[in-house]
Amino acid sequence: MSRRALERAILVAFGVAMVAVPWLVPALLGSFWVSVIAEILIWSLLAASVNLLFGYVGLLSFGQALYFGFGMYGVGIGIAHLGLSFWPAFGLGIVASVAMALVAGIFAVRLTWHYFAIITVVFSLIFYFLFLTIKPVTGGDDGINFTLPPTFRFGQTEIGLADSTFQYFFILFCVAACFWLMHRVIQSPLGKALMAIRDNDVRASLIGLNIYRLRLVAFVMAGFLAGVSGALFAFFGRYSSASYMFYHVSGEAVVWAIVGGTGTLFGPLVGTGIFILVREVVSTQWQHHLLIVGVIAILIVIFAPKGFVGLWRGLMNRVTS
Amino acid sequence: MSEPILRTERLTKRFGGLVAVDGVDLAFEPGRVHAIIGPNGAGKTTFFNIISGMLPADSGRVFFAGRDITALKPHEISRCGIKRTMQIKSVFPNLSVADNLWITAKAGDGFLHPFRAASRFAEVAAKVDATLEQIGLAAVREQTAGTLSYGDMALLEIAMALVSSPKLLLLDEPICGMSPAETERTVAKIRELARQVEIVIIEHNMEVVFGRADDITVMAQGAVLARGTPREIGADERVREAYLGRPEDDDA
Repeated sequence: MSRRALERAILVAFGVAMVAVPWLVPALLGSFWVSVIAEILIWSLLAASVNLLFGYVGLLSFGQALYFGFGMYGVGIGIAHLGLSFWPAFGLGIVASVAMALVAGIFAVRLTWHYFAIITVVFSLIFYFLFLTIKPVTGGDDGINFTLPPTFRFGQTEIGLADSTFQYFFILFCVAACFWLMHRVIQSPLGKALMAIRDNDVRASLIGLNIYRLRLVAFVMAGFLAGVSGALFAFFGRYSSASYMFYHVSGEAVVWAIVGGTGTLFGPLVGTGIFILVREVVSTQWQHHLLIVGVIAILIVIFAPKGFVGLWRGLMNRVTS
Repeated sequence: MSEPILRTERLTKRFGGLVAVDGVDLAFEPGRVHAIIGPNGAGKTTFFNIISGMLPADSGRVFFAGRDITALKPHEISRCGIKRTMQIKSVFPNLSVADNLWITAKAGDGFLHPFRAASRFAEVAAKVDATLEQIGLAAVREQTAGTLSYGDMALLEIAMALVSSPKLLLLDEPICGMSPAETERTVAKIRELARQVEIVIIEHNMEVVFGRADDITVMAQGAVLARGTPREIGADERVREAYLGRPEDDDA
């Protein structure tokens, strides 16, 4: 079997498995694990947002939680304070995070490397403390809880995320759509231009690429991914909290993306999956599960800098050649 | 006389106390191969860096085919049709050879379609294929650019300059550090290119310069020391003193 066919077969099998989760997983493991998988899917978008910047444009952001938080609060404030229904609240979350990414990006993408990393952290810290302070609006550390409005309404029947199977499919659909969009962008002329900037920004400008504008475009796209992630997480948890805007959350997303494999489409999903599974499995037995997380991260960074997906590709090369 | 392809007026660049380019007035006539030579630190590469927009000039102006390009950014200058290679080879190391050329050919277009597969731009692909053939890199087209031999990487750089249909090519020591065989191959390519596009070349290798250039400009300490045909330059006493008279080790 050719490598391409094999990879395609694996992708199809993975897709089928993801669709079968609400029936397979409760039977095999228990329904708790369905929500763990949903959570992995949501967080993988935050890691994908780090990956889009670091893996494809060469900009390491330690502030993606800011846009996650804006997505979360767009939904939370939209529903709890503005009385919005489901879709307008979802839209508000995404628009808020994209707008914030545009504003921060205008300043941040003038810089690269550690200066870029620092300014992204600074932006996220400013808004973290701001959101802690304006408690009447944000609920601060406690956050705001809200009741979910229905997603669809057909006459008398209402379908909403209260139905856990529907909730799972809603999350799966949104996450799959985002990964598909990212795939399209990577394959496009824009994607190639971004990778060129990642590889050699001086040469990129000499061939006629406006590197400032392209980095800004990528930064806003990354803000979109983080924003969708945050909005989904708000729906999933029925609340929004400033604690998810702390740079600790951004840092976790960076680790997930790097361990999974930056510069690969599915690396962030793999990394997020591994770490959340380790957390869920080990933390019930042993409170120091972060030690395992740390050891995995260090081993990967030293011995497999392309992450788990890089290891997998190496294996595939050996199998198919 | 026709409009110079490239002209500079009192071009000056200082680094602290050092005047790297000192009030340079130069005009490059079209249809000739121009070479700039000079000892190390003469300001040749700085001169290229100002023209291509990588460094801002402290004073003076640069005109490209009559148009003032002094304050433009590198990508804007590139889109005017001025392409350059670097003394230290500069490609996109993690992209394939074909992708290096692909994005270079597409970069000048302005709009980079975000949702259409790159593989569906047939005219760009055709250009890439033609350039690969012309430069002789078709055999390594799928190889990652960072793994190329030094000579192939230099050829890739020239191919990248070429694929975007330049009007003016600035070559900064294109054969620096090459083996004799690679040198021969590259010089042959440059000769071929000189028939299609305006070329200004910075070079240390006298053989290349005297064999190929129509006009030679000698720079020393940031200023133009002499200009003329290879024959005139070879006979110039000041040039001999400043440059040719030195032992090879000092000026390499």
